[in-house]
Amino acid sequence: MDFARIALTVIEYALYAAGAFFFLAGSIGLLRFPDVYTRLHSLTKADNLGLGLVCMGLAVRSGSAIVALKLLFIWMLVLAAGSTACYLVAESARSAGIEPWTREARR
Amino acid sequence: MMDPVLMGLGAVIVMTAFLGILRIQRGPSGADRMLAAMLFGTAGVALALILAEAAGAGGARDAALVFALLGAITAVAFVKRAWGAGD
Amino acid sequence: MWIVVSEGDLASLRAGVPSSLVAAGVSLALSPGRAPSVSLPGLVRFIGFFLVHSVRGGIDVAMRAIKPSLPIDPGTVTYRLRIEPVSVRVLFVNTLSLLPGTLSTHLDGDELIVHVLDCRGPVISDIEIVERRLADVFNITLRSPIEERA
Repeated sequence: MDFARIALTVIEYALYAAGAFFFLAGSIGLLRFPDVYTRLHSLTKADNLGLGLVCMGLAVRSGSAIVALKLLFIWMLVLAAGSTACYLVAESARSAGIEPWTREARR
Repeated sequence: MMDPVLMGLGAVIVMTAFLGILRIQRGPSGADRMLAAMLFGTAGVALALILAEAAGAGGARDAALVFALLGAITAVAFVKRAWGAGD
Repeated sequence: MWIVVSEGDLASLRAGVPSSLVAAGVSLALSPGRAPSVSLPGLVRFIGFFLVHSVRGGIDVAMRAIKPSLPIDPGTVTYRLRIEPVSVRVLFVNTLSLLPGTLSTHLDGDELIVHVLDCRGPVISDIEIVERRLADVFNITLRSPIEERA
């Protein structure tokens, strides 16, 4: 195995590790955050980043420009769908009268 | 033979989806349960992509595309159903 | 687009080309009005800005989620939108949800209600920066200069 190949594999695995971390953190936030709005923050940002990193890792692995483009396209689609879904869920929670949790209310 | 690293990555993502099931149990509102469905959408896309690579089945990437589209449709359907058509 | 989705499988073009044309035609017919013109340097800068900040957004929320003290101080702010037209507004509203600490929850006329994960930071000025960056992409002049805000 030549050096470039090893370096690429290291990058690929580092991207997976980071991606897995953000998926995990997103789910932890989903459980620990106090209300639906803060949980949405956790899910949209952390999971989308996690997916982006996993896609990048897989793109490095495939070594094919066209597969990399397709992965990028899928990621962008998930980003668009995720942020729209996020807005819709927040909006419907709001119209259902769910008040955002605040530190003051707890004190 | 499946790359153990990809399998490990897949296992972690399945685990995060299981954490989402806890959120479905606790609720408290329908919107909170919808969050778990969103999580399944993202995790499902990631898993399909990993499987596509691990099994050498490029077709699974198309499954990931469909997951991504369904994720968007699910959220819209939920909002329409749960709180009326609204505007 | 089809070539990317079919992973360069040229044999599939026979089905792909007609269906791509139909899809393009339908989406043109459904989208209202003409799309605003895009500035290429503005777009490149915006993509760079977006990538850096969405990574920051992910790190920010991940750290808050795993720290035992759960360092959040959520609240909502009302932001008066200056960006036009509606199609770009939708893009702005969606972008905001992916950037650090902000989440669009409700759009009512010119007023956007944003849920903020931590109100202790400079929230409004951060939102203004995003709006300005997006305006640069479409060569849009924002209705009132930043200095005018109350």
